[in-house]
Amino acid sequence: MDGQQLDERELIARVLAGDEAAGRRLYDAHVDRVFWLAYRMCGRHELAQDFTQDAFIRAFSRLPDYRGEAAFGSWLHTIAVSVILNGLQKVKRFDQREALLDEAVMVPSATRHAEPDLKERLAKAIDALPEGCRTVFLLHDVEGYTHEEIGEALEITAGTSKAQLSRARAKLRDSLADFAGEWVHD
Amino acid sequence: MTDTPQWNDEPMDARLRALAKQYNRPSGEVPREAMWLAIAPAVRAAGTGVAAPIATPDIAPGVRKRRHIVPYAWTAALAAGLVLGVMLEREVLAPRAPVSVAVQHASGDTQHVAATSIVPDAGATNEGASSSVTTAPSAINSGGAAIRRTPAAGQRVATLGTPSAVDHSTKPDSRDGSTAYGTESDTDAQRLYRLAARQTLVQAEALLTSYRANGGQPRDAESVQQAGRWARDVLTSTRLLLDSPAAKDPQFRALFTDLELVLAQIVQLSGAPLQAGERELIERAMHDRDLLPRLRSALPAGATAD
Repeated sequence: MDGQQLDERELIARVLAGDEAAGRRLYDAHVDRVFWLAYRMCGRHELAQDFTQDAFIRAFSRLPDYRGEAAFGSWLHTIAVSVILNGLQKVKRFDQREALLDEAVMVPSATRHAEPDLKERLAKAIDALPEGCRTVFLLHDVEGYTHEEIGEALEITAGTSKAQLSRARAKLRDSLADFAGEWVHD
Repeated sequence: MTDTPQWNDEPMDARLRALAKQYNRPSGEVPREAMWLAIAPAVRAAGTGVAAPIATPDIAPGVRKRRHIVPYAWTAALAAGLVLGVMLEREVLAPRAPVSVAVQHASGDTQHVAATSIVPDAGATNEGASSSVTTAPSAINSGGAAIRRTPAAGQRVATLGTPSAVDHSTKPDSRDGSTAYGTESDTDAQRLYRLAARQTLVQAEALLTSYRANGGQPRDAESVQQAGRWARDVLTSTRLLLDSPAAKDPQFRALFTDLELVLAQIVQLSGAPLQAGERELIERAMHDRDLLPRLRSALPAGATAD
């Protein structure tokens, strides 16, 4: 057990004893990673802010239940991932309704003939991934989580996480197949 | 098969990963202060909420890891133990037609008389009873004898198990100067009830102290529910103790009865954040009965739930 974890346990104990400054230190130590994860998952600054707030509020309100069996950071990220995914589902439902309304009132724009560049295509392909695959892909390949951490956060096994990642990569390769020639000849 | 160039998975995956880092790439500053404004009340609530102990990691190899259990889980285990004890007492021991005997107190003004029951056993003899008094402490501590009576089991002391409630036939224990009482199983039963009573009082004291500390603060529904669960478990233990020999001591009985009343109020009002009037009601019940001072004085200094 390293010094940082011991220090965090001390901070947690102090938060539970009513020390707000200790809470602030815990928050400062983890907020960036949670915020960037939220931003990575939703791509919108305001939403990332909302999700981060919710994640910390939920974590602090559950702090008395934290047993210290996992590192505080892992425990917090489990909560954060859950908050973000739930939030995204709500946002998606809302966005779909908005999109239907937009389609109803908008005149179809001219089809774009220009091929979007790979980066844009990849972003769209990631957006189009099934939620589970997308989450695992972002957590693993982009944010650097291990399958064990992902399993804990998503309440799935590490094997399921690996399978989801494999499926996500395969779908991305399929989506970007027309770029394969360029890349192969690079 | 088409002649479309195929991905070579490994290097292409690596390219995809590198490109994916650009996906929703964070930029700008994290709005720490703005978010903290919304989060700070939750931190305050965590500090005033009912806090379960945090597990402390092993600091050095070989140091035994301390077990930390959330209060309500602990009290649930205690309640289960008490239920088992009371059931065994009623179902196993009661059919043996106890003979009531008035028991003299051994000595000293602070000791009191306890009504006791002698359960004669077919195999019990005077020699057996006599020999049980001189049983070594190691035998007394044997777990198997905690509930079941030995053939020599002659008497059960009916109070909480303080050394004051003794059998007149017992002799002073030369080992520590205190009075040995009953048989080995009697001593274990007393110890069981004494331990259960003490643990319940420790939990009750912690709960009420925590409750009082939270009294003036607004609390979220989750904290209130958690306190409610904890109170419910302590209330269950209290009621079981009221039904057990531990409550035959009038002092403890009065304390358990008052405790039961206050805990029942807390449990009843734990469905939602407390209103000021409800808090006042509970506060008054605690204050009028001097509950916390009595609880604290009933516990030995430094008593913990561990």
